Amino acid sequence: MVQQFIDWQANRHDYAKAWKKKNKGKVFGYFCTYMPEEVLYAAGVLPVRILGSHEPQNVTEPHIFAMFCPFCRDCLAQGLQGRYDYLDGIGIAQSCLHIRQAYTSWTKHIPREFSYYLNMPHKVQSKRAYPFLRGEIEDFVKAVEKWTGKKITDAKLKEAITVYNNNRRLMRELYELRKADKPPITGTEAMYITMAMQMTDKVEHSKALERLIKDLKKKKVERETGARLMVVGSENDDTKFLNMVESCGSTIVVDDHCTGSRYFWNDVKDGKDTLQTIADRYIERPPCPTKDWEERKRLPHILKLAKDWKAQGAILVQQKFCDPHELDMVALKKFLVANGIPCLQLELDVTVPIGQFKIRVEAFLEILRGEELF
Amino acid sequence: MAEKKAKYPTEPLKCWEEAKKIRLDYYKNYAYAHDTGGIRWAGGAWSFDAIPAGLGNDVYPITSEPYSASCAFNKDQSIKYLEATEKAGYARDLCAYMRNYWGSILLNDFVFTHQFPDEFKGVKGFPKPDFIWQDHICCSHAKWYQVVSELEGGIPNFTIDVAAGPEAAINDRMIDYLVGQMHDGIEWLEKVTGRKYNDNLLIKAVLNECRATSTWAEICCYNRNIPAPLEEKSMYSLYVLGTLHKSSQVVADFYEKLRDEVKHRAKNGIAAVPNEQCRVMTDTQPPWGFLKIFRYLENKYGCVSIGSLYTFALIGAWEVQEDGTWGPRKTPQQKKITIKDRDTALRVLAEWNLRKPEWQHFYSPHLKTDMMVRIAKEWKLHGVMLHYNRGCEGLSVGIAENRLGIQAAGFPVFIFEGNMGDEREFDEVRTTARMDAFMESLGIKPLQ
Amino acid sequence: MITAGIDMGAKNIKVIILEDGTVKGKALTPAGLDAKVALETAYGAALKDAKVTKADIKHITATGSGREFVDFANDNVSDVTSAARGAVHFYPNAKTVVDVGAEEGRGIRCDKNGKVMDFAVNEKCAAGAGAFTEAMARALELKLEELGPLSLKSTKAVPMNAQCAVFAESEVVSLVHAKTPKADISKAIHDAIADRIISMVRKVGFEDDIVLIGGVAKNVGFVAAMKRGLNKDIKIPTDPEFVSALGAALEAADKVKAGGK
Repeated sequence: MVQQFIDWQANRHDYAKAWKKKNKGKVFGYFCTYMPEEVLYAAGVLPVRILGSHEPQNVTEPHIFAMFCPFCRDCLAQGLQGRYDYLDGIGIAQSCLHIRQAYTSWTKHIPREFSYYLNMPHKVQSKRAYPFLRGEIEDFVKAVEKWTGKKITDAKLKEAITVYNNNRRLMRELYELRKADKPPITGTEAMYITMAMQMTDKVEHSKALERLIKDLKKKKVERETGARLMVVGSENDDTKFLNMVESCGSTIVVDDHCTGSRYFWNDVKDGKDTLQTIADRYIERPPCPTKDWEERKRLPHILKLAKDWKAQGAILVQQKFCDPHELDMVALKKFLVANGIPCLQLELDVTVPIGQFKIRVEAFLEILRGEELF
Repeated sequence: MAEKKAKYPTEPLKCWEEAKKIRLDYYKNYAYAHDTGGIRWAGGAWSFDAIPAGLGNDVYPITSEPYSASCAFNKDQSIKYLEATEKAGYARDLCAYMRNYWGSILLNDFVFTHQFPDEFKGVKGFPKPDFIWQDHICCSHAKWYQVVSELEGGIPNFTIDVAAGPEAAINDRMIDYLVGQMHDGIEWLEKVTGRKYNDNLLIKAVLNECRATSTWAEICCYNRNIPAPLEEKSMYSLYVLGTLHKSSQVVADFYEKLRDEVKHRAKNGIAAVPNEQCRVMTDTQPPWGFLKIFRYLENKYGCVSIGSLYTFALIGAWEVQEDGTWGPRKTPQQKKITIKDRDTALRVLAEWNLRKPEWQHFYSPHLKTDMMVRIAKEWKLHGVMLHYNRGCEGLSVGIAENRLGIQAAGFPVFIFEGNMGDEREFDEVRTTARMDAFMESLGIKPLQ
Repeated sequence: MITAGIDMGAKNIKVIILEDGTVKGKALTPAGLDAKVALETAYGAALKDAKVTKADIKHITATGSGREFVDFANDNVSDVTSAARGAVHFYPNAKTVVDVGAEEGRGIRCDKNGKVMDFAVNEKCAAGAGAFTEAMARALELKLEELGPLSLKSTKAVPMNAQCAVFAESEVVSLVHAKTPKADISKAIHDAIADRIISMVRKVGFEDDIVLIGGVAKNVGFVAAMKRGLNKDIKIPTDPEFVSALGAALEAADKVKAGGK
């Protein structure tokens, strides 16, 4: 049922190349999910998220100091190895420091015809962020118009918003199905679907997603759910790892991480000022830790997800060296544990020691099962 | 053994003792602030300290990074702080300054009570700030004080986002973003402290900051001289004053005094390193517990580090001069601009800071490379030494590209890995061995 | 004119006795617990091998991590300098020297005279030195000399984390438990180390001729992995672990020619 999505993310480059040929359009690669894709989509551009390939590589050391996260280096490696040569444009929304390096090295050594750095504000909790981001997005619109030679009208923007909101709504509908006592899809499958979402035309993705949801609603779930888990953390698209976790007698029912629900959780709302409505959406979405201050808004959001999806435990994953998530880790763990959600903390790299991690996951599941008995 | 015949005359800095006193007084003022009814606050070195200055003449800050560097300098205490932070569950690869600072709070230990027990006699534990006034520059900054507030049971916290740049892109909207937050911040300060804000004090503070930071740049320019009148290890103890309190009159006045002395030294060929035969610059913070590596280079090779973009521009205000070279940025005073009201003062402050050279690489390391190459050329350097600093992501971001860019511009680059605030991550023996290799590759022979 | 080069390595002490550009004698002694004794032993053995006495040696230059320890040397040079010098002696067209020893791996770019233009060293996060191979041999319950040849028998590539030695070691344990053939694991280990070294040397860039020296160059598995990873020809001198000592001896000869002492 999920095969289409598995194929899309496995053949992400073929998809983009085929899309280019068919639509005679431009493809824009971005690094951080704070990028306002709607603007690009409104100009007929296909936005794709640049992700790594989980293979060891030896090409990024001259460009990025090894103490920065494996993810940013994995992303840059894809570029340096020529896998993203079909990209016409590349961009980043101001995010964490590590991934910025993938962008700045890319623009220097494998430059594209168009590159853009969007000053996404960090203080999303300040009312001042709203007009600021609106202005930034307006500048971005002008730049994309210049690049594509296409006018981004209000109507086109609204159309793009509709497409994106529809896709987001469907994803949330999919996630709703995972609230069931026997979720019809695993966390690994949901991960494939989310990854595919970041690599395809949303109209196509929505079509396939609609079909899938329909089928899942009818599906008789044979698979044992086991322990209900939540995954929280930084960038994580390690399907091999997720699969291992679920093969130990568990199901990942919900998540809050960079490649997961944070990407699609909220919609662009209706409003007179279209650009402002887009800005509002990015300001108000579930935040990355770099944007979660002075107050901690992430924590109650994560707990609500855990409670609503009846997660019994949480696996806290972070990319090795990921400062933003390490900064939140202590408070997050404390908060979840105090609210009855035991946690297992793991560091991810490009590849992970599956065997050792399995032992830890199994031990964690035993603890969860033990708690069930009492 | 034959006496080494010095190439150049040298003498210690006359201002040195005064600099030390200013620093000591600063920390004492913070620690004892409540004794005299004053208020004290904590924030980063780049915090807009000119703004809380509007709350009165008895407002005393402590800035996080210099305090943390002082912790790192005291290796025995530092390891205790670091271990306390690790025990509390924080990762070892987080900002080393932050880990020292948090550890200091966790152990409720003010580091200066160890080095200056008499001066800080009455101080019990880490003096808690009345409020936090921070700015967010790297991924850690805002979160640093979010955690501090939690560790201290809750302290009012206002953090300003300066996510606007780079310099070439600065527009009114970016300045509005900062200034808007600043206005909000002032309202907040009044509420939190119960004091009425004084715009005249704000204006004075902004002008002091412009004067202090511009004068520091002027001081660094004298190091173009051969021989260099200052060497980087000493410069750290001098630029630090700007990181403590750039908007204070004391610091601005001191820098003018220092500038006069350095000008005199440059004019009269008084060298920092009497046998200067090799000139380099470094970058990022040094490994604070191992500043002796500078002396190693000076004493063995007559190799002087004339500074770095870090030392020049962490607080220095620079701009391209009429003759195309780099130099101090003209202050509003020098441009005969009078600041009459709060909003103008804040706009001047916001723009002054967004134009900081050391802020630019957060947007692109290639901007930093350009500035570093400029320094290498204008300060006539033989090579560059880059500290791949595992303790600070903000200043190490893009450093690998800096290396490539500086090499492409024709300057030999030497890199050494280390940590500004965690001595466990710095290998002194290996590093000095590599320095020897670098000197050999430059053809610089040890002094006889 | 006879000179001596002493490479005071972390694990082994290597000595070369050089006469007018030709190796006259050599010796290798493990540094062991008493480095002073080992040093005297090594030097004595090299002199004996060369059939000369202490008095015949015009100039001694030390190199290696312990070079300051060689108190009877006339001077010392860094191992970066000596490695480049020695490599160019064997391969006059050497432009990139990759030196992998017990503790450290280095990448050096040099000119045709063996003068160092740029260098890079393994940093903190590295599975890139000989010590790692030894640890891995133990994890597989093999003798160190067996590890390399075994890797050549591998039939399948198994990915392994190339950055973190701790992760890599964990992965080896997992692979052993999963009953992966030891030959495949061994190949993966060598690929991981080679990847790490290649990554590091890329900082200075690979330009032909690429010369591989240091103790680990004797590991056939590592050499095969390097060739695989680079897809380039790599030159390895006979006695690769003596190249730095030779470089030091050549530096010594230069000193004598220049009239200094």
